[in-house]
Amino acid sequence: MKLEVQGVDVALSGREIIKSATLKVRSGELVGLIGPNGSGKTTLLKSIYRYLSPSGGVVLLDGTDIRSLSHKERARQMGVVSQFTQLSFDFTVEEMVLMGRAPHKGALSRDTAQDYAILEDALSRVDMLDYRKRSFLTLSGGEKQRILLARALAQQAEILILDEPTNHLDMKYQIQIMDVVQSLGIGVLAALHDLNLTLLYCTYVYVLKGGRIIAHGRPEEVITSDLIRHVYEVEGTVIRHPVTGKLQVLFSPGQAKRL
Amino acid sequence: MNQKKPPHGPFRLPNGMLFFLCIGLLGISIVSAVCVGSVKISAYDVFRIILYHVSGSHIRLGDLETLAGGTKFEIVWNVRLPRVILGAVVGSLLSLAGVVMQATVQNPLADPYILGISSGASLGATFSILIGADAVFTGLLAGTGTAFWAFLGSLGASALVFGIASLGGRLTSAKLVLAGCVVGSLCSSFTNMMIYLANDAEGMKSVTYWLLGSMASARWDKLFLPGVCTLAGLLFFLTQLRPLNTLLLGEEAAITLGVDLNVKRRLYMTITSLMTAMAVCTCGIVGFVGLMIPHIVRGFLGSDHRRLLPVAAIMGGVFLIWADVAARILAKNAEIPIGVVTSAIGAPIFVYMMLRKSYGFGGHD
Repeated sequence: MKLEVQGVDVALSGREIIKSATLKVRSGELVGLIGPNGSGKTTLLKSIYRYLSPSGGVVLLDGTDIRSLSHKERARQMGVVSQFTQLSFDFTVEEMVLMGRAPHKGALSRDTAQDYAILEDALSRVDMLDYRKRSFLTLSGGEKQRILLARALAQQAEILILDEPTNHLDMKYQIQIMDVVQSLGIGVLAALHDLNLTLLYCTYVYVLKGGRIIAHGRPEEVITSDLIRHVYEVEGTVIRHPVTGKLQVLFSPGQAKRL
Repeated sequence: MNQKKPPHGPFRLPNGMLFFLCIGLLGISIVSAVCVGSVKISAYDVFRIILYHVSGSHIRLGDLETLAGGTKFEIVWNVRLPRVILGAVVGSLLSLAGVVMQATVQNPLADPYILGISSGASLGATFSILIGADAVFTGLLAGTGTAFWAFLGSLGASALVFGIASLGGRLTSAKLVLAGCVVGSLCSSFTNMMIYLANDAEGMKSVTYWLLGSMASARWDKLFLPGVCTLAGLLFFLTQLRPLNTLLLGEEAAITLGVDLNVKRRLYMTITSLMTAMAVCTCGIVGFVGLMIPHIVRGFLGSDHRRLLPVAAIMGGVFLIWADVAARILAKNAEIPIGVVTSAIGAPIFVYMMLRKSYGFGGHD
């Protein structure tokens, strides 16, 4: 499964937020989308999963225009973990994750043993199997985030869109979530805040600034001191990790806005 | 905070048993509600009279004189039973509409009347009673009754709410609720103006009577339309349980889980508006049922519509049957308007539910 975004423009109440964004996610790739707050990461993702409709350009799933798919067909191929929003109604963890099965279900079909197997698999991947009877609203922010990922996993889509999946998570679960996502072997597009996670996990990265993609390529080539200064307006030093050998960014304090 | 409690109360019965219990409760309520009234009739008499007629005169317990004639037969079959069944029908209509509406606007405080529907109906009814269609229209619209105008008013109001909420692009739940308030106060002001200008004591009394709701007009032939409406609504929404669940998660989650939000939302709102309009024009405005019953049932069973929706539909019927019994017997030689009864029961229960906070009300974390 291949996701292609070609020349997408998005305007919100007359203001152009995304200008001619083009990107590509292939099966097995973990593609990062980075950029400062307000650069349009979330807006771009929303237009990909059709919560917002682009004013120009096209989003293709395996060459098919996403607008020609029904919402249900699209949901079978594309799972989404969006930024957490307030819920007014409570569900158990189990009910919540089983809703990921909804796009695969007809009007009157019941949850089958297979659905429950998928549920258990998804919950154990995010290490939440013991929580299945708990009420969703009583969970902590990080636990909620993991449940929402489990729901997207239960969707069994071939493309996964993640909007800051490591928000609210402490280090252990940041690493765990990224490990899970990496191990899926499907195409993943993730908006990320953390440049070090991007360097550790992403196979490719797109950099958004002011609604435009200003750079893309392999993370270790794209994320440089110059780019960090230009995009994030802070001083960062890129060094090689003494143990893993991966590139990592170290930030210097007091440098913001004085550049 | 009693946070150690299981999330959805003690009711973890298997679905089959749960539905069986609810239907049983409905049956018992119907029979016992028919027994109660100024003339006491034994449950056994009620049971055999109903059984005799429902079975198509095949099952005959006792003599025919009691079963098909006489005062008891008259009271049971032609006076009380239609009224009790009307209560059950309207109760489940309102409760069902409440469940669906709360999911559709993702607001647990939504209620069949919140979207301007009741105020539209009041306006229509007031117009019909105080001014009269005959005075204004000729031809097709002349000679139409209060129910017709109430129906028209509620449909007009909900169409207006939709129109206002759709202004400026995307239809959101917040806009729907706000538009409902706007249309509600608009209709009320017109209604009040008519009452003020009419200066007609008799008319004002019937307006009040109508606005507060009553089951007193129940007859078998008047049951058909609301009955069909309830059944059709129930059957339709039984095919929509998964999308309804998904809608509770919010607009964005619903879309990412494959629900065509704009289509479903318009469809559900149209159908619930029709259902509410049907309830209102049958027996006036009976408040709180559509708000309270889904809440209470949700408190026990959780938010999953596969359990919530059928149970709420039945329990709405059970509740209104007993509310109507209270309306009939609480005051000597008079009837209390059923809207007064439901609000009087509803308000304290609602406060209790609110304090118990066994599930989210939208404002807390």
